[in-house]
Amino acid sequence: MNCPPLLMRLGIYGRRRFSLWLPLFLLWPVAAALAIALAPLVLLLALILWPLGLGKLVLLSGPLVLGILCALRGLEVNLNLGSRVLLVSFK
Amino acid sequence: MSDNQKRILDLLAEKKISVDEAQRLLSLTEPDKDTGTRGPEESAGPKGKPRYFRVQVQPEEGSGKESVNVRIPMALIRAGIKLTSLIPAHASDEVNDALREKGVDFDVRNLKPEDFDELVAALTDLEVDVKGGREKVHIYVE
Repeated sequence: MNCPPLLMRLGIYGRRRFSLWLPLFLLWPVAAALAIALAPLVLLLALILWPLGLGKLVLLSGPLVLGILCALRGLEVNLNLGSRVLLVSFK
Repeated sequence: MSDNQKRILDLLAEKKISVDEAQRLLSLTEPDKDTGTRGPEESAGPKGKPRYFRVQVQPEEGSGKESVNVRIPMALIRAGIKLTSLIPAHASDEVNDALREKGVDFDVRNLKPEDFDELVAALTDLEVDVKGGREKVHIYVE
């Protein structure tokens, strides 16, 4: 699994230049602590929902969402709207 | 014997391809001893495995329209394909119906990460340019 993105860059370039670097690496320890704290609840929810056929969905959604977050590194979207340029990138 | 060669022989055994076609395909998979060229699996060369999928939409010069430049990591697409395993059966049916209405006869439940790897391998040497209307769309991997 890849390393999750450490920084997110948001930029709006036009008459006014606006660029923001969000330190995502500060969020990951908090998110990890939350995930560990919520793990027993998720397990319980999965057991409750298993007869409805949603247990697998609940159990697997965590790892899959984590996989998507980790894969975000390198994503770059650049929109040139004529007068403005919008940029979103994950580093 | 490589996997490709085995697959060709399997197709021949199943009578899905003729002997001539099998011979032609086998000759393509064998390395050329005289020239020293390599088979398709090894011919990727210094490019290596593509890491990003790029889509660029460029407007015609002077049209003043928007341009889009997106770089999507292959890992993200792969992770997205894995998410399809979580789609409930009834939702998959709805997606398939919607695709069929658009003329795409495809079952999203058949989408597997292994298929994606094959597709990426095929895309390595492929670039798609679509020029229609006032925009030019360029799709490639890097």
